[in-house]
Amino acid sequence: MSSPALEEFLARLYTDEPALAEFLQMPTETARAAGLGDAEVSALAGADHIGLVMAAASFRVKRQRRKIRHWPWHWWRG
Amino acid sequence: MAGAAAVEPRDQFGLGWRPELAAGILAHLDRIDLIEVIADDYFDAAGHDLRALRTLAAQVGMVLHGVSLGLASTAPVASRRLDRIARLIQATGAEGWSEHLAFVRAGGVEIGHLAAPPRSEASIEGACRNIDCAARIVGCVPLVENIATLVAPPVSHLDEAEWIERIVRGAGVNLLLDLHNLYANAVNFGDDPHTLLRRLPLDRVASVHLSGGHWIDGPNGARRLLDDHVHDVPAEAFALLRELGRLAPQPLTVIIERDGRYPPIARLLDQLDTARAALAAGREAAA
Repeated sequence: MSSPALEEFLARLYTDEPALAEFLQMPTETARAAGLGDAEVSALAGADHIGLVMAAASFRVKRQRRKIRHWPWHWWRG
Repeated sequence: MAGAAAVEPRDQFGLGWRPELAAGILAHLDRIDLIEVIADDYFDAAGHDLRALRTLAAQVGMVLHGVSLGLASTAPVASRRLDRIARLIQATGAEGWSEHLAFVRAGGVEIGHLAAPPRSEASIEGACRNIDCAARIVGCVPLVENIATLVAPPVSHLDEAEWIERIVRGAGVNLLLDLHNLYANAVNFGDDPHTLLRRLPLDRVASVHLSGGHWIDGPNGARRLLDDHVHDVPAEAFALLRELGRLAPQPLTVIIERDGRYPPIARLLDQLDTARAALAAGREAAA
């Protein structure tokens, strides 16, 4: 398991609010539609949904800070 | 003729270099062994800024810290990103560099932060390949750092300690162990921080990060600890440093990271003293 396609799928969940909302409602269908394999689809169905929401929100704040204020890179992490 | 006396390696203590802290750091170089510079802040720096860093590196130890390579991805790190690290090391005279075990982009999507990849055989292989490539292009091997994550990495079949150990030993690199990241992950996912510490490859720890964070609310009443670098280092992280000092006899470099809500420099220096005392107490307990 774990592939560039899986990383791309996760990156979209972390950066695309509608995509995350759709996944949270229909995890299996959404993952399958992204072309992921059975094992990955099954694992994603049981993923940490609360953590996905919190991580996506945290990443969104970091991106907004950089876009609005031109923060230096150390703000990327904090 | 007598040869030069060998310098005994020793523990070192330093701060992350930030413009907001520069005056305070420069005024207290007698209490700071080294500084850690965020490499990405200087990739596009003007020549005079790089010369200033080189001058600084002649006065105090300096290491570079990357935040955007995405070493733990199954996709290869672009060589142009590694070239920039190589050029910066050459321009500044930095003693070494480090990066995170994270993925930060995939399929053209920039996450904008350090994300934990699935802890799997594929990401171990990807990380080892990327680290090998990085060492060849940059000319020296990076330290690799454990990251904090608010989400249990989906589609993982290894736990954090196993995954890190496999990468560190597989790639033949040393670990930059972020004790607040370790602490945050442990409390967020129901592990005991000291047990997690003991399961890591402590013989490969070369450097330590200390920072702070705060609790944030999530859906369904969930609360998780966010590693934010804008709060003081908590007592729990110092306790982990003491334990690390007891278990890992090799010399360690300890760096406090602060990325905002900057306190007076005296408070950061006090935290460095607390780190010195914690590590010394661990060393003493092991003796």
